[in-house]
Amino acid sequence: MLKRFPYLFLLLPALILLLGVFVIPMLFILVLSFQGVEGQFSLENYKTIFTDVYYWEVLWKTIKISLYTVFFTLVLAFPVAMFMAKTPGKLRGLVTMLIICPHLISVVIRNFGWVVILGETGWINVTLMDLGLIEQPLRFMYNEVGVVIGLTDAFIAYMVLAIATSLYSIDQSLYKAASILGANRIQSFFHVTLPLSMPGVFAGITLVFSLSMSAYVTPALMGGTGVKVIPTLAFEQIMAVLNWPLGAALAILLLGCTVLLVTLFSRLVETKRYKEVFSS
Amino acid sequence: MRLPRFSLLGFLTLMILIFVNAPFLIIVPSSFTSAGYLSFPPEGFSFDWYLKILDRPEFIDAFFFSLQLAAITAIVSTLLGTLAALALAKYKFKGRDAINALMLSPLTVPSLIIGIAALLFFTRINLGGSFLGLLLSHILISIPYVVRLVLTGLTSFDYTLEKAGYMLGARPLNVFWDITLPMLRPAILSGMIFSFLTSFDNVTVSLFMVAPDTTTLPLMIFNYMQESLDPMVASVSSVVILFSLVFIFLLEKVYGLDRLFGLNAQQH
Repeated sequence: MLKRFPYLFLLLPALILLLGVFVIPMLFILVLSFQGVEGQFSLENYKTIFTDVYYWEVLWKTIKISLYTVFFTLVLAFPVAMFMAKTPGKLRGLVTMLIICPHLISVVIRNFGWVVILGETGWINVTLMDLGLIEQPLRFMYNEVGVVIGLTDAFIAYMVLAIATSLYSIDQSLYKAASILGANRIQSFFHVTLPLSMPGVFAGITLVFSLSMSAYVTPALMGGTGVKVIPTLAFEQIMAVLNWPLGAALAILLLGCTVLLVTLFSRLVETKRYKEVFSS
Repeated sequence: MRLPRFSLLGFLTLMILIFVNAPFLIIVPSSFTSAGYLSFPPEGFSFDWYLKILDRPEFIDAFFFSLQLAAITAIVSTLLGTLAALALAKYKFKGRDAINALMLSPLTVPSLIIGIAALLFFTRINLGGSFLGLLLSHILISIPYVVRLVLTGLTSFDYTLEKAGYMLGARPLNVFWDITLPMLRPAILSGMIFSFLTSFDNVTVSLFMVAPDTTTLPLMIFNYMQESLDPMVASVSSVVILFSLVFIFLLEKVYGLDRLFGLNAQQH
């Protein structure tokens, strides 16, 4: 057997691990999510979720927070990626470093930093009160604003890297061609840079959206008990309430919703691109 | 380094870089406060909150536990990932693309769901809360990175060198040891360091897999933060930041951060 399939020998250890720690557990929670109180097959977990308005509200809030995060990471990441693409040499290396370093340090620590900045006795509030601009501390935390700030910081590197990858692959002679044809810098941005950065932008949007949908740590630390999202609900059901079938159903729902929305988004983007190609 | 002229784009970039790095610019200074509470700007200067870590053996235990876990994770996932990548690159067989996709699939599923699935399944097979369960879940989330890095290393691999080795009469193991492995060293080493960091930083998967008595350092900070916010969190975090920076620096030296994240430095 191994003589005929030598690659099996190399693949087997990793395959066993993947099956035992990933594939089988995923199938297991899928089955578990269809389990009733007495262990029989039932749809009651999904029925509970779909008939209770509360879960719909939380799901909507999760999606809303993720969309805000996508928006802010996109707006903040684009200039950085453009700067990286335009600046060769050591300065580009430095910017890359300053984007990737925070990305490789635990999100708990980054969130902690934001707590010190945004909290009630945090840097911003103390500064503003010392200046006499406000009387009461502003609430940046333990609400959706805090969660979006935390998530934007947590996932911006993915967006920068995705956009930079597509900007780096733009053929530089296109810019020359644009300027020969009389385009100024703004025109060449809208007719060369922006359209050609779209694959990176779409990849970044998809990635940041999926990551935000399933983020647990940041909503827990920056949102506290005030902001409930599907990940925090799933965690509660599994670790506190110990209703595992319902928790499993929430996890499956989260995964399903994310996949569905991401697929819809890429379909939309693709049909739009086909139309553009055929109309021109 | 030549400083560029002032540009709006450069200014925006600087602001955004400050935003992204703001947490560290705040944490490290405030860890040196001499006050008994957390504040920025810090009041006075002292090492008090670093010395106080020494009075809290649970933090030190958690640090060494995380270190151990990350080291074993790095070694095992590098070993398994490299072997798998070699099989995927060198052999053409049925279902290769499917297996390739399977190897990278833990990256596409959120770690929250990986954690939930692993906890529920492992509890069913009596591995819940065990070190083995925690370790296996950490290996799972780092294997895809190793596979991807080594596969990338193998696509630019010059196979004629291996052929030359065989023609000169070297045995397969010698060819592997003296030719294949040294050429893949940067990819394998950076896969190992990246796995280490992935495990050392992880909270979401650990959250579900740790036993109550043994907890990882990031998870400990996570739990501690939700109860009290004193300068201790800042000093412990600063130690972790410094420690992570050492490994990030190693990654930069061994492989290059831009190349690691798919930004090809050779282009213009």
